[in-house]
Amino acid sequence: MRTKFGILVAALGLFSLTAPASAHHGFDTEYDATKKVKLTGTVTQVAWTNPHMRVYVDVTGADGKVTNWNLELTSPNSIRRAGWGPNDLKPGDKVVFEGFGGKVVESRGSLQSITKVGESKPLFVGGGPNAR
Amino acid sequence: MRKVLVGSITIAVTVLLVQMQAQGRGGAAQAPAAATPVQDAVRYINPGSPTVPDNMVTSQPVPRLPDGKIDLTGPWVGGGSNGDIERDGGLKPGELPLLPWARELRDKRLSKDEPYTACLPMSVPRVNPYPWKFAMSYTSKGLSHIYVLHETGDAGAHRVVYMDGRKHPDDLIPSWWGHSIGRWEGDSLVIDTVGYNDKFWFDSRGTPHTEQLHTVEKWTRLNYGRIQNDFTLDDPGAFSKPVQLKFTGRLLRPDLKTGGGDLMEFICLEDNEYGAAAGLQGIGSGTGNK
Repeated sequence: MRTKFGILVAALGLFSLTAPASAHHGFDTEYDATKKVKLTGTVTQVAWTNPHMRVYVDVTGADGKVTNWNLELTSPNSIRRAGWGPNDLKPGDKVVFEGFGGKVVESRGSLQSITKVGESKPLFVGGGPNAR
Repeated sequence: MRKVLVGSITIAVTVLLVQMQAQGRGGAAQAPAAATPVQDAVRYINPGSPTVPDNMVTSQPVPRLPDGKIDLTGPWVGGGSNGDIERDGGLKPGELPLLPWARELRDKRLSKDEPYTACLPMSVPRVNPYPWKFAMSYTSKGLSHIYVLHETGDAGAHRVVYMDGRKHPDDLIPSWWGHSIGRWEGDSLVIDTVGYNDKFWFDSRGTPHTEQLHTVEKWTRLNYGRIQNDFTLDDPGAFSKPVQLKFTGRLLRPDLKTGGGDLMEFICLEDNEYGAAAGLQGIGSGTGNK
């Protein structure tokens, strides 16, 4: 997986010198840049849906309550073209994710990066204030 | 190898970030200057579509069709605006000659009200930053139609460009893509379009137009990897004078197995949850697994 990701990132570095043109709508309407989150949980669903792909993650709070986060990416076509496939992330995978909470529904978040627990590199990382 | 990878990551992310910020994809309807640096940088995981890089645009000869014309097929990414037609079209802030009412309307429009967020077409030239291609349709009479296929076109995902010499009808019903007739000027394809409705926005900033809109696109393939759109926008209903803009499209990288080199399926209404995170109702139709 790491090798595959390395190839993907290297390919991005060499070839993807264009601006992404896939965001279906603006960030600011829905998400709050001050609600930065970094949470650990278990993937319940990876939805390759239009117009934007979503990853759902169960997160258990300090009080034991489980919240299912609905995390938005960009279009599945863009993700696919970048080399991310259906076998890279599956229900049951334990992950650490970073993103921004929704303005009103906080557990509807904008996903910035997601990393499988035990791995050092994220599956993918998006642009953000702390993007690497 | 590790250093190469780290370098590649740094270059890729830096370039993506700089270009994201420069072009403001999907930004809020307010003027870009109103956004804070942090807000402007925040985006979804959004890798974009991989295209032929600058150092490879002349790596191959420009392909030609059997009739000798330059092959404009693509698919291309770019050639229009999304975030700000004024900026992306090569103008300085304030140079777009909007009439006062149109400027006022642009300034008060909100991102949540964009027709596009309800999966309606973005139309010309806003849809071009998303993957698209020309599809030539030949009959016994030669090239009679060119279809412009847009991956993110949604309802009305293709435009028809009549190449058979017909004129614009004088009784057009305003529509999202208007009525387009094409002609060749050397190796450039010129598309003349009238009959637009006034429902789509030119950009997420909210730049408006009227049903008097008349556009002329002159598409020129500059080399293997780039195509230029010299775009004339004439709308006496919303602009004080015609304006000339210029956009560049990039060839979708053709050698990737993950959808590279061709268009992919995109059905916007499948699960459009737009607005839900902000507590907005009645914009998107999807609800996810909630």
